[in-house]
Amino acid sequence: MRGIDSSRRFSPALTFGVALVLYAAAVQGAESPIPHGTVELIAENRWITPGHGFSLGLHFQLEKGWHIYWINPGDSGEPPRVTWQLPPGFRSGVAEWPAPRRLVNSSIVDFGYEDAVTLIVPVHPQTSLAGQPLAQLGLEVRVLVCREMCIPGRTQLSLALPIKSRPPAADMRHRDLFAAARKDLPRRAPQNWKFSVDDAKDSFVLAANPGPQITQAIFFPLVEAQIDNSAPQTLQPRATGFRLTLRKSDRLLKPIDRLKGVLVLSGNHAYLIDAPVGKRGAQKNNAGNGTHEIKSLREGQQK
Amino acid sequence: MKRSTQYGLLVAILICTPPLVAAAKIGQAAPDFTATASNGKTFRLSDYRGQYMVLEWHNNGCPYVGKHYKSGNMQRLQKQWTARSVVWFTIISSAPGQQGYVTASEENKYLAKMQAAPTAALLDPTGEIGHLYDAKTSPQMVVINPQGILIYDGAIDDKPTTDLSDIDGATNYVNLALEQAMVGKQVETPSTRPYGCSVKYSGSTH
Repeated sequence: MRGIDSSRRFSPALTFGVALVLYAAAVQGAESPIPHGTVELIAENRWITPGHGFSLGLHFQLEKGWHIYWINPGDSGEPPRVTWQLPPGFRSGVAEWPAPRRLVNSSIVDFGYEDAVTLIVPVHPQTSLAGQPLAQLGLEVRVLVCREMCIPGRTQLSLALPIKSRPPAADMRHRDLFAAARKDLPRRAPQNWKFSVDDAKDSFVLAANPGPQITQAIFFPLVEAQIDNSAPQTLQPRATGFRLTLRKSDRLLKPIDRLKGVLVLSGNHAYLIDAPVGKRGAQKNNAGNGTHEIKSLREGQQK
Repeated sequence: MKRSTQYGLLVAILICTPPLVAAAKIGQAAPDFTATASNGKTFRLSDYRGQYMVLEWHNNGCPYVGKHYKSGNMQRLQKQWTARSVVWFTIISSAPGQQGYVTASEENKYLAKMQAAPTAALLDPTGEIGHLYDAKTSPQMVVINPQGILIYDGAIDDKPTTDLSDIDGATNYVNLALEQAMVGKQVETPSTRPYGCSVKYSGSTH
């Protein structure tokens, strides 16, 4: 029986099918190996429409037990770094990072991702991409993959997308992946939550009023060495919200103006935080200097 | 800021002996310890008062450590500063059974192979010294002045990568701290986030 199967594999129709699959793989990019996992460059849309921004995804898949890092890796590690090779007429935007997890390892706490994660990168094509049927979008990814060991990886990814003067259309094969990744992205907190941060000697107290239902809160600092990553974060639920006490890092030698990061609340809802730091009891004076949202994590980190 | 640092120093001197569990802090007395080196000798930190000291957290399987040893950068620093009477301790805090744990003879072979030149490589399998200094990564670097005060704690340089090509052009914080302190200047950058692999203490799960 197997003999018949293998002879069928060479039938013209199947050969054509295999060729089609190979072609699709070449056009859509394929999984590239990284240490203990893979990374794939995927496009949200089926083609590029000149003048219309679109999203690419860097989809990492990791073997069980291995992890990669968030934009602020925490106590150890290093975030993935990307070097773009885009054709003329294309500009890459700022990557969007889903909320990370706390990776606790004895007294060391890192921030990162296990299993799988998709980083979303916006790309902006010019209006005039005259006469080009196809755009080759390339990038080099450098990534540190860790378990007990850390192994640096480096790989080249590339994706050829057709250019068409038709409205953009979603690539259904990647719709779920992009939808899932967007769900995990931290979003702006509603204005009426009124985030405030008090400088209370050895700690910062982050308070907000989203309602009484907050039973879980974890803060991920965007800037290194502001809070003690391994210290427990103490949540005090209140009638209209909560207070979260974050111990300051021993490395924080100067006062800070703002506390920036991602706050993950019950139900895995993640919010971007960028709040002015006031002295204890003086937050009322900050009324005119309220929370403002950062558009992206990278932007917040550079400020 | 400067004023409060000086006040902190004064308090540290008045209190004199910090409790054993107190973790190391910039501008305060470096916690004392005794350790056995891979060469079999016993070293006590406080015996080296009067000299500058460097503590280097080490793990021979960590690619960030590898960057500085394969390039010869760490060995160069060790030779350069021990030639100027700086005491340099390489410290291994990996627990038995954890990645990076070595026996004395394994470490001696590594030192010979890499032509490393610290004053000694201290074995810290219980993690006591690591916890005393709250060492998070390998490499993590600490600089102590002749008065026994911790004057630098953090990364080896400002390029937190595993790329050997990043060593040239990096700002080396250990060199900066030692050079500035030795001419009587305030250390400009006394604390940075250390980079590298996590220290594999006992109880590490990944």
